Amino acid sequence: MIRELTRADVEEAFLRRTAATTALADEADGIGDACHAMAARFSRGGRLITFGNGAAAADAAHLAVEFVHPVTVGKRALPALSLATDPATLTGIARRSGFEETFAEQLRTHARPDDIAVGISPDGACVNVARALGEAHDRGLLTVALVGGDGGAVAALAGERPSTRLDHLLRARSSEPSVVKEMHVTIYHVLWELTHVFLERPGAPGRGSSR
Amino acid sequence: MTGFEALYPFLYPPVDEAPGGDDAREREVFAEVRRSTREKVAEIAALRERVLATYADELVACARAMAAAFAAGGRLFSFGNGGSSTDAQGVAAMFSAPEHPGAGLPAIALTADVAVLTALSNDVSFEVVFARPLAAAGRPVDIALGLSTSGNSLNVLRAFGEARRQGMLTVGLAGYDGGRMAEADVVDHLFVMPSSSVHRIQEAQTTVYQVLGELTRTALSRPGPPARRPGSPG
Repeated sequence: MIRELTRADVEEAFLRRTAATTALADEADGIGDACHAMAARFSRGGRLITFGNGAAAADAAHLAVEFVHPVTVGKRALPALSLATDPATLTGIARRSGFEETFAEQLRTHARPDDIAVGISPDGACVNVARALGEAHDRGLLTVALVGGDGGAVAALAGERPSTRLDHLLRARSSEPSVVKEMHVTIYHVLWELTHVFLERPGAPGRGSSR
Repeated sequence: MTGFEALYPFLYPPVDEAPGGDDAREREVFAEVRRSTREKVAEIAALRERVLATYADELVACARAMAAAFAAGGRLFSFGNGGSSTDAQGVAAMFSAPEHPGAGLPAIALTADVAVLTALSNDVSFEVVFARPLAAAGRPVDIALGLSTSGNSLNVLRAFGEARRQGMLTVGLAGYDGGRMAEADVVDHLFVMPSSSVHRIQEAQTTVYQVLGELTRTALSRPGPPARRPGSPG
């Protein structure tokens, strides 16, 4: 049996996105700081490593391809790798070491200290994402988290300075995973575009003191 | 002035004209980057408003048709290239591995099977990578949902052709002016994000497919009113 749908259902759905979109402008400072730090890492040979679960696994792959094959003609390709694209590796690690190790173990295998780790967790509760970001921090990587809701275990990594294990926390102001996802898509598109702004300006990066 | 300088006019002052040395210039770049972020947020907010104003009725009609297809035992196949391939996977995960409690709906991203993609690309052509799996597995009760920001991706258009040949429900998401996807009889339900930015198009497309998912689940999960129109589906 199918319930009738009306325009009001559609309007309500779009309305639920409005406040979170408006609030995204408040993340402009945090996004700018993250882009500056990412540009510094790329300029000294760092690579981008992305990860997330469920629909955020697709977002992790999307973020990586933005950098590897830019949609804007003439933009430099930059090295990026999603840890969520290979089911053979993912299920192999999950079977041997547990699901919570799926990304941390790959980081231990692939990451170098100059790299950038971006973890995407719409409710912040993804234990494997939190564990990988902590591992990344301890290895000297720049750590960036995209979260929503209250930020959960992932945001808790930020802790109190100087004991923080998270360099940049970017939060969508919604507790609905689908709304958070849409804000994350905008955030990572902007991360790509503005990282290039810092990379391409004369005088250029690398001297930034931010991790 | 390059296109990039036109977009960010303050970022490329002649070096000897940079006011106040590196620190001032650094502050200027940060200010420009923050302004740019706020502009993009305003752009996507306005684009979502336009999409709602243009497509509210079409979203209702499409979600109703998708709900009817799932209710009849249909499955959804999603496909796209590059960033849109990850959206195809987002669509499939949204239905088959929902965040909320309850059973999923059968949905498969044709972009996720690397063996099939590379076999067809290597042995036949890249244009058939989505059409061939649909030819093999598609049934008239199924749904084909394709994404192409330009509306011109040949493998997506070929897949729609195959889906329609089989009588499947076809749903297309595009940008710009819709490209070839907007030509007559390509898809049953077309949603064109009226923007020339691939990024804003993808962001609005994400809203469209997630709202379609929400509406489809709403249509399926609540009891409907008594049938008022004899012969209407559902």
